[in-house]
Amino acid sequence: MKDKTFSILLCAVLLLGLLATAAHVLYAADAYQRCSIIYFIGEELW
Amino acid sequence: MKVTKQILALVLVIGIFAAFNFCIYELLTRRLSGNFSDTTQAKQIDVGAYLPFDENSNIVKVETDLHLTDDLPVLDGAAALFPVYSAVVNALYPAESVTYEGGSFSDDNYYGENFAPDSAMQYKNTVRGYKAIVDGETDILFCAAPSAEQTAYAEELGVELVYVPIGLEAFVFFINSENPVENLSVDEVRAIYAGNIQNWRDIGGTDRVINPVTRLSGSGSQSAMDAFMGETPIGGKSLLAVTGGAIGFSFRYYLDDLVDNANVKMLSLNGVYPSKENIRNRTYPIVAQFYAIYRNDNDNPNIPVVIDWLLSQEGQTLIEESGYTGIQ
Repeated sequence: MKDKTFSILLCAVLLLGLLATAAHVLYAADAYQRCSIIYFIGEELW
Repeated sequence: MKVTKQILALVLVIGIFAAFNFCIYELLTRRLSGNFSDTTQAKQIDVGAYLPFDENSNIVKVETDLHLTDDLPVLDGAAALFPVYSAVVNALYPAESVTYEGGSFSDDNYYGENFAPDSAMQYKNTVRGYKAIVDGETDILFCAAPSAEQTAYAEELGVELVYVPIGLEAFVFFINSENPVENLSVDEVRAIYAGNIQNWRDIGGTDRVINPVTRLSGSGSQSAMDAFMGETPIGGKSLLAVTGGAIGFSFRYYLDDLVDNANVKMLSLNGVYPSKENIRNRTYPIVAQFYAIYRNDNDNPNIPVVIDWLLSQEGQTLIEESGYTGIQ
């Protein structure tokens, strides 16, 4: 693989990963504001 | 060889993102999925299960000789007290006094009910309920003590509200049932919410960050929490705290009877569990009154009739059998 091709692929993967993670975090933050606290605490992992 | 390294690098980057998102999912998103909607915070109770004049209703049904026909006070209340004032309506009011928009009950809307504007029973919950009683839209509000903002709103409009205690309730703190902590002191709870204790290890638990959860401003439980904290301000928490072991607060009846989630447990405070007996004998440290509230200038002649009945043996029996502790 040429270095230029690799760089483009790496940038694309990084960009997609960052976008997907940001969307996930925003979704979680919004859901946290409106969720049932009792259910939220009940589903905690211990 | 170079290509192999490049592919490995790409796989590694993808793997890091996948692992990070998996952690967020396990610690947070999984507990929220399918667990929220625009109605969750507003609705808070399955209204349809506690309707008056419904033979399948879960409300307590008491026999009484008092039956009102005219000048019916419009009753409203907090989510946790819906079963109580619904039972009052069922006992004292004629069935035709409760009406629904469209002719029949529906919970397919924002607040989970569709009481008609001229119905003698409403469900506005605490925040809208306090505004409605001050604005004169309802006649008796069943609720916990008001927040500072709700008191200020009444004062601003020159409205004097009368608070008649009709029952007792425990303000409780709860955690996941797998959390080994069973008891906290009142001072420890205040220190947790002030941000001075941030790890369960410091109060006899495992080494895990504490996530002190708060509620909607103006809600009955948040107002009770503000009163509990007194002059001590509720501290901020780090973003990472949401992945920790949470502690929340509520009223005992709402948590134990209405929701009854086996995955959470109530904590003893100062070594006393919030049982009905410990509420009645007031050994549990945070016993709060709940009230029937009306405007002092409201001249509906049946307001004192309903209040007197609530304080009578029949009314107190209704409150007790609904799951609360009577005031008498």
